[in-house]
Parts: sequence; structure tokens; C-alpha cells
Amino acid sequence: MEKTTVDNKDNRFELLKELLLADDRKDFNVLKEEVLEREKFKVKVTPVLDERIEDLKVNFSDHFGKNITEAIKIQIRESQDEVVEALYPILGKLVKKFIIAEITKLTESINQTINDKFSISQIIKRLFKGKRTDADDVLQEVFEPIIEEIFVINKDSGLLAGNYSRGNIADKDMVSGMLTAIKSFAKDSFSKDGQDIEDIKFENFQLSIQNFKTIYIATATSGVINPDFEEELLEDINNLAEIILRDRSYLIDEEKLNTIIKNIFIKKE
Amino acid sequence: MIAKKVLLVGNFGVGKTSLIRRFVLNEFSEEYISTIGVRVSSKIIQIENQEIKLLIWDVAGTSDDEKVPKAYFLGSSAAMYVFDLSREETYKNINAKVDIVKELSGLKNITIIGNKKDLVSSKEIEAIKKLIPFSIDLITSAKENENVEDAFKELAKQTLN
Ligand SMILES: Nc1nc2c(ncn2[C@@H]2O[C@H](COP(=O)(O)OP(=O)(O)OP(=O)(O)O)[C@@H](O)[C@H]2O)c(=O)[nH]1
Ligand SMILES: [Mg+2]
Repeated sequence: MEKTTVDNKDNRFELLKELLLADDRKDFNVLKEEVLEREKFKVKVTPVLDERIEDLKVNFSDHFGKNITEAIKIQIRESQDEVVEALYPILGKLVKKFIIAEITKLTESINQTINDKFSISQIIKRLFKGKRTDADDVLQEVFEPIIEEIFVINKDSGLLAGNYSRGNIADKDMVSGMLTAIKSFAKDSFSKDGQDIEDIKFENFQLSIQNFKTIYIATATSGVINPDFEEELLEDINNLAEIILRDRSYLIDEEKLNTIIKNIFIKKE
Repeated sequence: MIAKKVLLVGNFGVGKTSLIRRFVLNEFSEEYISTIGVRVSSKIIQIENQEIKLLIWDVAGTSDDEKVPKAYFLGSSAAMYVFDLSREETYKNINAKVDIVKELSGLKNITIIGNKKDLVSSKEIEAIKKLIPFSIDLITSAKENENVEDAFKELAKQTLN
């Protein structure tokens, strides 16, 4: 304090600052050191870090892939219901669509192979009727072809003369939509001579339309159509057409027509 | 009353079924159940002092390398091509895709609809409009029931040409 003079105001002020801020200065110096250190540290470390980040960018999956996959797997395993619920509406139908298409292809190719290799396949089949493989059973159960609806349509009026419904399609709009589709396909595709239409996929059902002199007979089936089923179906359709065309009274008596349809197609049940 | 067959086509998931459900039943669902093959519904619509029964064919959406079976277009009086404003792949190459529909259906005019308006900003819509080489007939939202009725009216008008 010896330097202190009354008239040296600046000095006094400095001194006062010194006294008051001594502690703060200590802190400041420590901080300064730290910051400086950090700057130095940064210079040294940054390139290394960059290198690591680059490495991570490129090799992330090598470093963490396993862990993440594992974590996701566990997550999915533990919340299977949620996952299924989220994906089902999208995948369910697509998968079914895909599988049905694939199985149809497969069935066709298997049948083709069998037909190519054994012309006696029919005989064998008859011999071993009832003796089928497990795979056959499974496929049959899941994709068993079933007649869902049969429509007999009067060509002139375009009206439904009779029908059979398995009662499985609860959605009435669906059935009437089917009928609309059938009528329009029939009208447009059979109006020109010799024009034939492919079978139509209507939602999960297969529509097929047969053209006769005064009527159309249309069927909606579900499952995978195999050649045996198709052959039998066509035969039944032809039989029905023959009966109706021989006796026109069927076309004006809906009840009578419905009974005969049922008798012809649903004999096995 | 005259009945007219109309078709809705476009990539899968763009909202064809949703537009029809909104128009016919005034319903909307967030759930996506992809249409298989085709499904037909109908609704009577009043246009130019005429009642028309629209037979609306909801055709399963296609991916880029798929075509709608030609048989589905038989006897159709008009068609709507729907794309999804929020998915570029559904309007990229729209020109070529619409041409294919024209060729298959034999129709000269196709109603072009950009759906899912609620998912994009008006700025984005402007950008899309600039990108597409022909004019979009209507921008719709099946979800928020915007322009859906008008879109089908436009389609019905096409059936009278
Ligand atoms: N936010 C929004 N979502 C929509 C709109 N329209 C449809 N969606 C949704 O988009 C998804 C697909 O709609 P769909 O109507 O099934 O599409 P689609 O064109 O019929 O599809 P496919 O039958 O597979 O060809 C569903 O999850 C709908 O909820 C819309 O205007 N806004
Ligand atoms: Mg659909």
C-alpha cells in the first residue's frame, strides 16, 4: 500500500480493483488455462476425430450392425403383435395375392410336368385316390378351390335369371359389383364374334364367364383353381346350360332354376 | 337411365379406392388394403340435367412394369388417372403412363387427378404442376373430402363426349 498517494486516483482505482477482484482473477486464470489447453487439445484431436467419423460413416454397419440388428430383432420379437398389426393390412393381401399367383403357376407347372412325363397320370391318380401327400393336404386346405357364387344371366334382358350363393361373401356390394362386372364383360366381350375374355380377378375371387345362346353363366371361385377342378366346373356349367336351353321354363321360374343350379354344382356337399 | 362404365387407374396406393369410398359412401380409412384385380361399385350422379349411373371400376394399382389388363377397359366411357402428390414415382413419367392408358382404352381424354392434397403444401403443388407436361384436372384429398365430388363429375362429363 506504500505506493498509494492521495492524488494518484488512477493508481488507487487500480489498487481497489486489485483488492476486489483478486479472487476472481484467480478463477479467470484457471479458466484461461483451461481454454488454452482445450484449444491446443482441439488442434491435436480434431484430425483424429475426423478420421474416426469418416471411418464410422463408411464402416458403421461393421462396427454396430450386429448390435443394432440384434436390438431390432429383440424389439420385434418382443412386440410381435404390434408389428404384425402394423404390417398385416399391407402385407396380408399382397402376400396372399402373390402366393396364390405363385401357387397357381407352380400347380400349373407341376401338372405340366406330370402330364409330360406320365400320360398314365390319370390312371395313377384314380388308383391312388385318397392317398395324398402332406404337402397336397396343406395346399388343398389353404387354397382349396371353392365355388362361391353362380349367376345365370338372361342375355336379352340382362337380368339375373337365377343364382347360387355359398353365403360366404357377406359384403352385398361386392356381390352386386361382381354381377355388374360380369354383365359388362359379357356384353362387351361377346358382342364381337370370336372375341374371348381372360378370366377376371375380382378382389380375392376368380370370375369366369361362359357364353351360351341366350344366357351367360358366370362363376366366382376362391382358392387356387387346379385343372381337375376347372374341368369339372366346365362340365357342370355345360350341363346346366343344356338343361336350361332345352327347357326355357327355367328362365321364368327363379326358384326352379336355383334348385337345379344347386343340385348340379353342390352335389359333393 | 343410362349407365356408364368408368375406370380408375394409377400406381398402387395413390388412393383410387379411397376416392371411390369417399364418393360412394362418404367414408375414409387410413388403413391400406390393396385392391386385388378389380372391384366395381356404382353411384347415380346428376350431370347436365341428366341422371347417369356410374359403374365405377376400381382397378388394382400397378407398378411401373405392369399394365392394366386390356379386358378391363372393354366398354369403358371414361377413365381417371390418379397419382399421389406426395410420391414422385407416381407422377414421374406420367405422360407415358397416360398414353398407355389411352392406347389400351381407346379413350381420347383421360381425367388426371392428383390426390392426397392434405400431405403437401401449395408450393409443392405448384412445383408438381410445372413438372407435368399437361394440365391436372383436379387436386383432391379423399381424406379431407376435397374436390372428390368434382373429380367424379368431371369424369362423368367425359362419358358424355
Ligand atoms: N393423407 C391422405 N391419405 C390418403 C388419401 N387417399 C388415400 N390415402 C391413404 O393412402 C393409402 C392407399 O389408399 P388406397 O385408396 O387403398 O389406394 P389405391 O390406389 O386403391 O391402392 P391399390 O388398391 O393398391 O391400387 C391408404 O392408407 C389411404 O388411407 C388422401 O387424400 N390423403
Ligand atoms: Mg385400391
